[in-house]
Amino acid sequence: MREIVVARGGCWGACSAGPPFPRPSGRAWARSPAPYAPHPRRPPNLYPVKLYVYDLSKGLARRLSPIPHHAGLNGKQLEGIWHTSIVVHKDEFFFGSGGISSCPPGGTLLGPPDSVVDVGSTEVTEELFLEYLSSLGESLFRSEAYNLFEHNCNTFTNEVAQFLTGRKIPSYITDLPSEILSTPFGQALRPLLDSIQIQPPGGSPVGRPNGQS
Amino acid sequence: MPHVISQTPKMAQSGRPSGLSTDENISPSVTRVTVKTAGKGEDFMIADNTSVRQFKEKLSAHFECQMDQLVLVFMGRLLKDHDTLRQRGIRDSHTIHLVIKSKHRSRSLAHSSQNLLTKDPCHRNRNTKGNSSGVHQLASVSHTPVESALPVEPDAPKVHTQDLEVSNPDCIAQMLQNLSIQQLLSNMAPVRQFISEHPDVQQLMQQNPEVSNLLDNYEILWQTLELARNLAMIQEIMQIQQPEQNLEHPLNPQSYPGLETMPGGDNPLGRSYADCNDHMLNSLQDLFGGNPFTALLEGHVLEPVQSSPLSPPQPQERRDQLPQLPTTRVIYTSSCGLSSITSANVAPDKVNHTSSASTTTISTKDQSHNWAIQQPAGVPALPSIELTQQPQAEDKDATTSRDSSDQKLKDDPQLSDEQSSSQITGSMVQLLLNNPYLAAQMMLFISMPQLSEQCRQQLPTFLQQTQLSDMLLALANPKASQAILHIEQGLQLLATEAPVLLPWVAPYLWGLGWLPSPSFSYPDTVPWAWDVPDMAEPKGPECCHKSGAARQRLQSLAGDSSHLPQAPEIRFSQQMESLQAMGFGNHHANLQALIATEGDTGAAIRKLKRSQGF
Repeated sequence: MREIVVARGGCWGACSAGPPFPRPSGRAWARSPAPYAPHPRRPPNLYPVKLYVYDLSKGLARRLSPIPHHAGLNGKQLEGIWHTSIVVHKDEFFFGSGGISSCPPGGTLLGPPDSVVDVGSTEVTEELFLEYLSSLGESLFRSEAYNLFEHNCNTFTNEVAQFLTGRKIPSYITDLPSEILSTPFGQALRPLLDSIQIQPPGGSPVGRPNGQS
Repeated sequence: MPHVISQTPKMAQSGRPSGLSTDENISPSVTRVTVKTAGKGEDFMIADNTSVRQFKEKLSAHFECQMDQLVLVFMGRLLKDHDTLRQRGIRDSHTIHLVIKSKHRSRSLAHSSQNLLTKDPCHRNRNTKGNSSGVHQLASVSHTPVESALPVEPDAPKVHTQDLEVSNPDCIAQMLQNLSIQQLLSNMAPVRQFISEHPDVQQLMQQNPEVSNLLDNYEILWQTLELARNLAMIQEIMQIQQPEQNLEHPLNPQSYPGLETMPGGDNPLGRSYADCNDHMLNSLQDLFGGNPFTALLEGHVLEPVQSSPLSPPQPQERRDQLPQLPTTRVIYTSSCGLSSITSANVAPDKVNHTSSASTTTISTKDQSHNWAIQQPAGVPALPSIELTQQPQAEDKDATTSRDSSDQKLKDDPQLSDEQSSSQITGSMVQLLLNNPYLAAQMMLFISMPQLSEQCRQQLPTFLQQTQLSDMLLALANPKASQAILHIEQGLQLLATEAPVLLPWVAPYLWGLGWLPSPSFSYPDTVPWAWDVPDMAEPKGPECCHKSGAARQRLQSLAGDSSHLPQAPEIRFSQQMESLQAMGFGNHHANLQALIATEGDTGAAIRKLKRSQGF
């Protein structure tokens, strides 16, 4: 595979789009002032993919967790209760008890994210991405499929991140449920936590509007 | 794409018929790739040199769709037909994502229309009535019941103030029963923080600055929260005490106009309290500055304390008999505070029972709270659990009349009759006894300000959950309270008789989990006049601090004020002198009485008189 690293007329980043096309000797490709690439057909656009990480406990978890630690109840330091969403194509996508939702970046009631992780970049277009989300929303990420421990917003984010970039989200986020459940504290709270559903307000559902396959 | 010419020598012929099955001609290596679509993953075996197009042909047959509907994504890159899978870096066990596009290309429009619809869902979400639309923080789970009790704004600007999905009381009860939760709830600093951050409370504090003082006193917080849990009891007490006020105290109920305006401000306790001497006033003023929590929780029918199974009619009856004034001691001694509130809320409608009830309350409290409880020597069976017992007649007569608020403060451990308080404290004691570890931790947390300071600032308000109901049940067990009483007495005795041995007790306490592992160091060791601080180290060099910490703890266990870990002799030297001057020659008895009464000379005198058979 040939990697094209040369900034070919404004193409950002490494375009691994395949073999270099011949110099535009016979063709005059219009260099459109697109932000990412001169032409959508050429070295494909690369859209950045970001992971917005919210700490639902707003820092309380980090401060609280030493307490059970001192008490000998919980040996782990809980840094936060992470809620994540994927931001791509200038939209934020997340999964909650209401299914897959989207909103302007940072547009949920949670406000701006506590941290932003760069997942990479993707060639997936917005249209394709929405198709993908729709299919996910009908299959794997229906609203009723939400479970705080097993199938939560971070599960969705991980899935989407892998689709978009092939990379997973940081493990400290995906390990959170198992980490909590491994403590006596979490075990004790389990019945209560299992019934909790998180849905940050401010998003609108993502789905196939026309309902066709 | 057709115009993109691949220069890869391994480029497969685009016009190749679908021969994607294994063993193509060139390279016999077969790759297994996983194709994920719509959340499902399926494995496909393909040859190495398979082109994307060939792969798509295969997939289209498999998924029964048109080839142009297929979009393959690998590592975030769209796979073009002319590429080969190997060219794109697809190796064995890699995952390729597949999107099957819908036949109708209306996605972009749909998306924009979705944006237009954003307003409604947002609006709907913000006006959350349903539980599912709220964001529930893990940490806020436990205090959501309080939230639901508090007047929750529909807009819920704060995420954590939205309704909790789990409104099932069983879940809450189940959670509360857990040791960890109860232990966490024992910290008052987070309770205070949580409460003070609530807008309603802040408004309250603006109306009446005393509330801030109230919040500063952790015992009072505890008390009021516990009291708030028993709304029925509160109301009853208030009703009962209402007529009494006019009889008992010259204080006009209107003398505290500020209280009237505050929710719960017209609590007769506050009014009655105005009559107390300065000693009580200073300590209890905050308590009766109001029970804002009561008011805040008014509309919310709290779950009855689990101790309610303890003969309700008797608690009623007892409540009538409860003294009307709390005791300073109560405040100091009961970090749980529940009993003190109870005693404070007691309505004295009968002379006989009043003083006895007060003392009973105090004693109950003392007994129920093994931390920082002044246990007078020779306390008999725990009264807290003896709900069914009649107020001890002898104590009724023996105790002083209730005209003096001071006398309400008398600590008469022999009275066994505080029902309403016992109802709460009894269960508390029971809970503590059932969970010695919890009891130890609570004691430590409460009585060790230095240690728990850091912890206190970190906890949210789990306390709202009436998690103490189990504890109260535990406290209600007579034998349990008695056991705690004995322990307390023993420690107190040890402290006075052979203080040198206290450090040796520390290892036992550590083993029991009563003392936390000495990971912290106390800045100042015990100022106690022990001459064996170094000798008593059973452990290593850092035992000095441990020992000091242990000693401090033991001191508080032994009955010293939890905030003043000084030697009783030193603290009460003045009182001792006065006692001596009055003719109480038994130095040891005087000291014990003073310890039990927290330095209250009058109460000590009464105590000594009683013990000496006057």
